[in-house]
Amino acid sequence: MALMITCPVCGPRNGYEFRYGGEDKGPRPAQRELSPGDWFQYVHANDCADGIQKEWWVHRDGCGVWFTTYRDTTVNREVPPPEEDA
Amino acid sequence: MTTETKSAIRRVSPVCFAAAPGESEDRDGWQVVTRYENEGEEGPWLVDLSHRPRWDVQDGHVDALRPGGVSVPQEAGQCRLQDGLLINRMNRTQAAVWHLAGATDGMPAEAAYTDVGEATLMLALFGPQTLRICEKLSALDLAGLQRRPPFLVQGPLAHVPCQIVVAQRNSGDFGGGILWTCSRGYGRSMVHAVLDAGREFGLRPAGEQRFTDWLPSLSSD
Amino acid sequence: MNRLRALPTFRIDPARRVAFRYRNRSLHGVAGDTVATALYANGVRIFGRSLKYHRPRGLYSLDGECSNTCMQVDGIPNVRTENTPLREGMQIKEQNVVGSAAFDLMAFMDKLDRLMPAGFYYRSLHKPARLWPVAMRQVRRAAGLGKISPDFRYGGRCDEVYLNAEVCVVGGGAAGMSAALSAAESGLRVILLEARPWLGGCFDYRPGPSQDGEPLYRRSRELLRSVSEHPGIRVFTHSPVVGHYTDNLVTAFQTGEPGDAFDYRYIEIRSRTVVVATGCIERPLLFEHNERPGVMQVGCAQRLARTYGLLPGERAVFSVGHDLGLEAAVDLSDLGLEIACVADLRQDGHDEHLVTQLAERGIEVLRGWVAARAHGARAVRAVTLATLDGTVQKRLDCDLLAASAGLTPVVGPLTLAGAQMDYDAHTGAFLPSELPPGLFTAGRLLGLHDAESIETSGRLAGLQAAAHCGAVDAAAVVELQAQAAALPGPQRGSKLVTAPVKGRKSFVCFDEDTTVKNVRQSIARGFDIPELIKRFSSAGTGPGQGGIPGHNLPLLTAHLQGKPPSSFVSTTIRAPLVPVPVAAYAGSRHDMCKRTPVHDSQKAAGGVFRRMGVWRRARYFSDDFSCREEVRNVRENVGLLDASTLGKFRLHGPDALKALQRIYIGDMSKMTAGKIKYAAMCNDDGCVIDDGVVVKRGENDYYFTTSTARAGATIEWFRYHTRYDGWEFHLVNLTDAFGVINLAGPNARKVLEKVADADVSNEAFPFAAYREFTAGGGAIAVRAMRLGFVGELSFELHVPSSLMQALWGLLEEAGKPFGIRNFGVEAQNVLRMEKGHIILGQESEQRTNLLDLGLGFLWARDKGECKTVGEAALRHAENDPGRLKLVGIRMQDPQRAPKDGALIVDRRIRGYVCTARHSFTLEQAVGLALVEEPLAGIGTRLDIYEDECRGELLKAEVVAVPFYDPDGKRMRM
Repeated sequence: MALMITCPVCGPRNGYEFRYGGEDKGPRPAQRELSPGDWFQYVHANDCADGIQKEWWVHRDGCGVWFTTYRDTTVNREVPPPEEDA
Repeated sequence: MTTETKSAIRRVSPVCFAAAPGESEDRDGWQVVTRYENEGEEGPWLVDLSHRPRWDVQDGHVDALRPGGVSVPQEAGQCRLQDGLLINRMNRTQAAVWHLAGATDGMPAEAAYTDVGEATLMLALFGPQTLRICEKLSALDLAGLQRRPPFLVQGPLAHVPCQIVVAQRNSGDFGGGILWTCSRGYGRSMVHAVLDAGREFGLRPAGEQRFTDWLPSLSSD
Repeated sequence: MNRLRALPTFRIDPARRVAFRYRNRSLHGVAGDTVATALYANGVRIFGRSLKYHRPRGLYSLDGECSNTCMQVDGIPNVRTENTPLREGMQIKEQNVVGSAAFDLMAFMDKLDRLMPAGFYYRSLHKPARLWPVAMRQVRRAAGLGKISPDFRYGGRCDEVYLNAEVCVVGGGAAGMSAALSAAESGLRVILLEARPWLGGCFDYRPGPSQDGEPLYRRSRELLRSVSEHPGIRVFTHSPVVGHYTDNLVTAFQTGEPGDAFDYRYIEIRSRTVVVATGCIERPLLFEHNERPGVMQVGCAQRLARTYGLLPGERAVFSVGHDLGLEAAVDLSDLGLEIACVADLRQDGHDEHLVTQLAERGIEVLRGWVAARAHGARAVRAVTLATLDGTVQKRLDCDLLAASAGLTPVVGPLTLAGAQMDYDAHTGAFLPSELPPGLFTAGRLLGLHDAESIETSGRLAGLQAAAHCGAVDAAAVVELQAQAAALPGPQRGSKLVTAPVKGRKSFVCFDEDTTVKNVRQSIARGFDIPELIKRFSSAGTGPGQGGIPGHNLPLLTAHLQGKPPSSFVSTTIRAPLVPVPVAAYAGSRHDMCKRTPVHDSQKAAGGVFRRMGVWRRARYFSDDFSCREEVRNVRENVGLLDASTLGKFRLHGPDALKALQRIYIGDMSKMTAGKIKYAAMCNDDGCVIDDGVVVKRGENDYYFTTSTARAGATIEWFRYHTRYDGWEFHLVNLTDAFGVINLAGPNARKVLEKVADADVSNEAFPFAAYREFTAGGGAIAVRAMRLGFVGELSFELHVPSSLMQALWGLLEEAGKPFGIRNFGVEAQNVLRMEKGHIILGQESEQRTNLLDLGLGFLWARDKGECKTVGEAALRHAENDPGRLKLVGIRMQDPQRAPKDGALIVDRRIRGYVCTARHSFTLEQAVGLALVEEPLAGIGTRLDIYEDECRGELLKAEVVAVPFYDPDGKRMRM
């Protein structure tokens, strides 16, 4: 967790002020008719990209905001958003 | 219930210094120490401000509110100091209001306001070597070159999440001053950690008067 | 031993004596000595014995790169005496010796090396298996370094400091100081770290000329003056770098000077850029008995004389591979050392000026010669020199052999930071070929030797760092780059791997006694790359890590297999780069915990406190940890519990109800004013993570409680599960704003009546109601709830924290006639268990869902599509028969409650006991347990195993809960 993470409210901070909140998987699906398989896909299945992935973090020890950022999982470093998402 | 028992009802600060009070006054149930014996004349000093009122303000349009008649700063991290009132913009929808001096009117009745004076403790650390004491307690860059005091930093001090306002910073040395709040329950641990970190620099507890004297030297925003 | 007359390079003050004790003798060093130099000055040559063969070991590098000079100092083992300043009154002892270091009774081990080939532990001692414990005891007795007493308490002061900077320079030699100066000139904050107690690096002690002709040591002192005068540079000496992590997080630890407020200090630096200017250490020369006391590196010999005033011997032979060796020979000869011969393994490429100077002093230089063997049982008495092919040899008497194969760049911080390292054919070193962003290099580690080149490379790196921070423009960098390019570049390094010997006693790694022969054996067994050889032969795993073998091992691995030197790289370097006292990591070790507003009065009342999560809480109020009296008093009279640690929150804003519906499994839209709602939160798996009560205080305005453990994560949880919705709701953490008093027992109302300013009768304030009133004559605002967690009439009073002590005092006073007394968390635990009320985390674990706990009644299935967290999983889990269910159990033996966590078994494990206690109220042993569903029926007999049952299973029966007051009359009184 030595990496720096950029909080949209507080700016770049030590990674250990944050908690990881998982890959960005989009909004919660409607649940009434959700099959066990689809529920599993949303809650537990991950892409585990070897490269840049968009993910959620919370500034736990700071302002408390939840936000998404991009991280290169191969070097464990925050990276700028890829162009198509910028 | 007799008047006697009622007058025996005292408010207790979460902060307690092992120093002999020199002068103190009764204010709304708080026994406020205005001066301790042996405060020293040079500083740095640590002052308990937990008795000063503090409000949390949250609203989708927090910019439109004027707590105590003062407008809320535009950007997260900015602070405004006016008439003894310090307003810290925390994020898009939230600001903190700290009453640093003077009498306080009651909190506005609007739903946006919550009285959080009891939720936190508030301390002020100021004088020479203040930033050297801070760097023993926190990895936060309070001496960063880009920002001008007063500004708000939300992050850990002594491993406890805090709202820290860098109120003053001398150029060329480590002097200055910070104010901060954290969960009230940490009172004793926090004071112990800060005084321990400051011992080598001569940090001492001081009464509220030191703070009141220092306050006018702060710039407003 | 007499010191040399004062030299301008001294770092000692010969006039100030420092007393210490060694082997029960009182000795003296002088101010500025390290422990090692003080011992050397007192004639000590053998500092310790080696790990495996008990070979004598002495001074070798002076920078603590091997365990040769590790000793016990003031009760602390494995202290690196070369890096430890001598202090008045120190107690110094040898390690790993039987007898003394000079006459070690275990020295015969050295003759047994044939019995201990590489990896012999793994290969010889494991069969038969019963031999292993015996062998292990013997091996452990014979091998190893220092010993520590389990009773030892470290009395030193430790501190920590966290720094932020734009430029961090690692290494305070000429290059590092130049880098710091050029970076600081652009107004940036610069931190300069130096491992030795002073700045100067290899310029500090050398009399050789700098670019303007004055001695290098004077040039280094000029740089030092500029550095100390610059307000933008903060210097940390005696602060070796320990780690270098992502995004330039650099850690170091500092040894305090007299007058500092610490003995050790952990330093953590976040810097936008880092300049690594760590210079070089010497590459050990591999020959027979290359670590015999009296064999030392060139810099060690020269620094002993120049820095500490100690002539390292009387008659010396040099075997070197670099101009620094020639320079040191000239210098030491001038200081009075007799030099018999200088063997230089290079055939050409010498600085001819130095060769001339040696000739002028009558010192013979043998080109293409190398030391092949050191003679002498406990210290060097003679040396055999040989040509590189070994065909011609000669023997010379000497008591000092200055030996060095060349230079090794110190690249630890670079590799930790993720730099790509490759073999460089010109210098023969492993150098960075690609650096991560914001990392720069300078100085001797690049192979530079020329003084001006070294300084210029430093200035360039400092400027590059400043440019990276945007403080100077790129043109300035280009200009300086051109200047640097015109200066002498890296020097060609010597490539010799080993002297022409078999290598049975040529040590690659001193710490682990790994020889050239061991490396050959490893390769023969198929461990043919450095990483495998390291693991098989232990080379490089000792306290010095890669310092001694780091450069030679990959070269030797290639050499022995006839491969080119570029075939391998050094073994992976990991933090800590240098041994760090654990106390330094611990730092100032403040226990940051929360205390409740009545902490002091609870303590005065005899509370026994325990750390629970972030809080310190009163668990017991007597020595009787069964809490018999505390429990009885609540059941019969009235008790006071400090429940301030409960999480408390305000939730407001237009979308507040939507948020509640998302998070709570119940239907939160049906709440009435003045009434509390008991509600639970699940996670996405339907497992219960929290329970508490919710009160509606106004339109879109709620007050709710959480468990103590979840308080810190509650806002985060709400925000996480609504992060895509863009709702406007606001949460305020009021956990610490209110103290909570649980006033419980049949007399509770009688006590409260005397204090409250409101009607608290059962009619005005019934069970499950919420009221706000004042107490103490209008002075204290109270939020009150009628709850029944402990199963008695009880009031939960939420009071502003600053007034909690006042209300507590009023209640205690009012309760005196009714037998009021404190009860703690353990008594509460027994009371609620008798009532069958659960505590999450105790009656549940990760996989326990709402239905398993019998709390299905909290789930509102008909509240519409709120995407409630956990609802989908609960629906899927509803018909799953393979789950553990919570049941009440009664033990057959009323005096014998199993421990929490005891297993419920038949032929396999069928569940476990969550909480079980002897209930004084019921005079039975009862508890709550999670069991497989088929065992959950009332009347099922269970067998319970715990360690203390001695094979005799405890008998229990599933019974109905609550055990106590099943109709709930008492809490509704």
